[in-house]
Amino acid sequence: MDTLATKRVHLLARVAFVWALLIVARLVQLQVVQHGKYKTLAQQQQQRRVEVRAPRGMILDRHGERLAMSLPVESVCVNPLRVPDIAVASDILSKILNLDHGDLLYRMKTALEDRRGFLWIKRRVAPQEAARLRGLKLEWIEYRTENQRFYPNRTLAAHLLGGVDFEENGNAGVEQALNDRLQGHDGEMLLTEDVQRRGFQSTTQSEAQPGEDIHLTIDSSIQFVAEKELAKMVDQHHAHSGSVVAMDARSGDILAYANYPTYDPNESLKDKEAAAREDLAVAAPFEPGSVFKVITLSAALECTRLRPDSIINCGGGKIVLPGRTVHDHNRYWELSMEDVLARSSNIGAINIGLTVGPRLLEYVRQFGFGKKTGLPLPGESSGMVRRLPSGKGAIGSLASVSMGHEVGVTAVQLAQACSVIASGGNLIRPRLTLDTPVAKPIRVLKPETAITMRRMMEGVVIKPYGTAHRYARILGYTSAGKTGTAQIYDNHLHQYTHLYNASFMGFAPVTNPAVVVVVTINGTAGLSGYGGPVSAPVFREVAAAALRIQDVPKDLPEMLPATEDDQADVSDVAIVDVGSSIPPPLVQPGDAVTAGDEPAAAAKVALDQRIFSAGPAIPVHVSYATPVSDAPRVPNFQGKTVRDVIQESAALGIPVEFIGSGIARAQIPEPGEVLPVGRSVRIQFGR
Amino acid sequence: MATLAPILDRFTTADRTQPVPAPARALEMEDQFAVPQFPNEDVYFRVKHIDNSRVVRTADPAARKACWRMIGYSFVFATLVITLLLPTLYDLMAGYRMEALRQERSRLQLDRAALELEEAKLISPARLAELAKMQQFVDPAPENVVYLDTKSDAILAKSDADPAKSSAALAAK
Repeated sequence: MDTLATKRVHLLARVAFVWALLIVARLVQLQVVQHGKYKTLAQQQQQRRVEVRAPRGMILDRHGERLAMSLPVESVCVNPLRVPDIAVASDILSKILNLDHGDLLYRMKTALEDRRGFLWIKRRVAPQEAARLRGLKLEWIEYRTENQRFYPNRTLAAHLLGGVDFEENGNAGVEQALNDRLQGHDGEMLLTEDVQRRGFQSTTQSEAQPGEDIHLTIDSSIQFVAEKELAKMVDQHHAHSGSVVAMDARSGDILAYANYPTYDPNESLKDKEAAAREDLAVAAPFEPGSVFKVITLSAALECTRLRPDSIINCGGGKIVLPGRTVHDHNRYWELSMEDVLARSSNIGAINIGLTVGPRLLEYVRQFGFGKKTGLPLPGESSGMVRRLPSGKGAIGSLASVSMGHEVGVTAVQLAQACSVIASGGNLIRPRLTLDTPVAKPIRVLKPETAITMRRMMEGVVIKPYGTAHRYARILGYTSAGKTGTAQIYDNHLHQYTHLYNASFMGFAPVTNPAVVVVVTINGTAGLSGYGGPVSAPVFREVAAAALRIQDVPKDLPEMLPATEDDQADVSDVAIVDVGSSIPPPLVQPGDAVTAGDEPAAAAKVALDQRIFSAGPAIPVHVSYATPVSDAPRVPNFQGKTVRDVIQESAALGIPVEFIGSGIARAQIPEPGEVLPVGRSVRIQFGR
Repeated sequence: MATLAPILDRFTTADRTQPVPAPARALEMEDQFAVPQFPNEDVYFRVKHIDNSRVVRTADPAARKACWRMIGYSFVFATLVITLLLPTLYDLMAGYRMEALRQERSRLQLDRAALELEEAKLISPARLAELAKMQQFVDPAPENVVYLDTKSDAILAKSDADPAKSSAALAAK
């Protein structure tokens, strides 16, 4: 029989058993039945989802110099519903973050009234500000890590790079065009923390994929020179704006791409800066003016019998077209075709263009005008190449196109067109990123035509009366190009203004072009605002820098440009419409008139008898060179320097081909021989 | 003061009105060895003097063996537990370390990016041009630019045409 004590023990044991049973039951309920619920609660308490920011890709130049990069910075936000005292909070935050106290208080109050659980206080705060706030250890202040885009070179290549918005999405330039490649994809990580909020285990939920780095083709050194020279010239001539595009003549790589006025993409857009952010080089087509004569003459060499020495009737500086009269800047009567280019005769170019006929527009399109170049830049304009109107309007339109009017081109399109001449007749597509495959060249001109054009364009630079003489010669290198001065059309007044679009497109060296440079400066005025004095010097500086930086061997002995015999005729502006308010330019007293510029009776008759008819075939009368019995005899160039040979041959009007550098050692034809028409003297130079 | 015993007795004792058994009554008598009784308790304490001077503890090998066995079991058990828990503990410590290193890496990456940005600012062409202007540097004239033949196995000392001579001169020095 159990004693009293035993009974007590048994009773205690039963109670303990029941107690244990209850505990086990509760444990089963908590850990088995409600396992999911409590696991979720525990995870919410112990685990935190951490966003792993994927940095936006960098933009670098062709040598790897950073042009744009992103850095993570902190942004401050609060949950207004958790803020103990709105007034105190706004006071603290406004003092540390340099915000307007009243404005912040209003925003926080509004958010609280709207029962909003999130409010940005200040985005992308300075590290010092973030450190000061963290030091307060206020649990209601939250921090979010965001990336901020930095452009360390500030205004350098601003239009090319573009910019990003608050969400780091590109909103201009390459940033916008290549946004998909630059933008990374954020990842997520699950971080398990202890009671002191120290993480001890992390699981990657989704991998962060950083944005791709983009290597541009531009060279930041050449870009800097281009921007500096462009800004200097625009300011010096009180012009409105300008663009420079430098391109590798062989690969189509854009080496420099500058617009002025410019801006700093690090700073947010201000109202007055909107115009400065326009990407003029691709988005603003303009009438190119005389630079377009290169296209006209190239087409003429390809599809007519005209040759560089063919005599072109320039009509004494005036031509009557159906419904209007076009004046030249100088009264030229007859010029050789290459002198039409060197002197930039509008009438000569019109006559050549009319000789080519409607096929001129085919060549214009083949040179890449009227369609986009395909550069990864937003807002690229395809320019404007109109269809030839029917009837009498065709002649007027063709005449205008011949001298660079009635077409709209961009600076990049001009560079692309110039590359046709520089590359030996192939159209080289410009490219902006190094990973873009070099496009297959498209044959536009025969190689011999391109070589002839190179020589004719060199004449613009080296001939004493060339429009770019004294302005575009590069020490140590041969260079070629064409100036252009187009009057700016006022769309409100519907007439041409006295302001010019001064441009120059050229390349260097002539024999094996390495770089093509196009300069356009918008809104110049007066004689000093022509393409020669305004744009050609920018070409010279940019091309010289590009050649030096790219280690292009010199092809000329060092010499100073001649100035004493300078007869440069910079007036290449086209006065297009007699009906406009612009008077025709007067012949300047200092204008050089060579023997060949004397009026010829036959040419006068030809001009007076010019008949223009409608239809695709446009009969035009152009005077050609007649064989001359007293053709020039080749002088002895042997033992002379390149400079002396250039001067002497230019004075005699003898075309010369240069081979090598140093002193003239041999020449073909021999001294004293008669130079056949259309032939040139080949001179071998040596040290 | 009621203790646990009377409470338990309510559940274990059938009838509390039953008379107290006779031996208990006998204990109620005056006893010179008795100590004061707890109220409502059937526990009685008396002072008793025991002489243990002649008690001798005899050796018990079985108990000693059992004791050592228990110690051994405890040690093995503890070792097993520690062995099983050690990897988890190590994982935990490594987790802390890894997270610390991960944060350190992020911080270093940030520092590096900041330094790269600073470097890019310092070597920007505009700043270099400004510094060159302050130092009164000028761009070299084209005639002063000499291109070295960097192709093939060209050497910098191009003035010395004969490599044998130059190596001999070097040997002489």
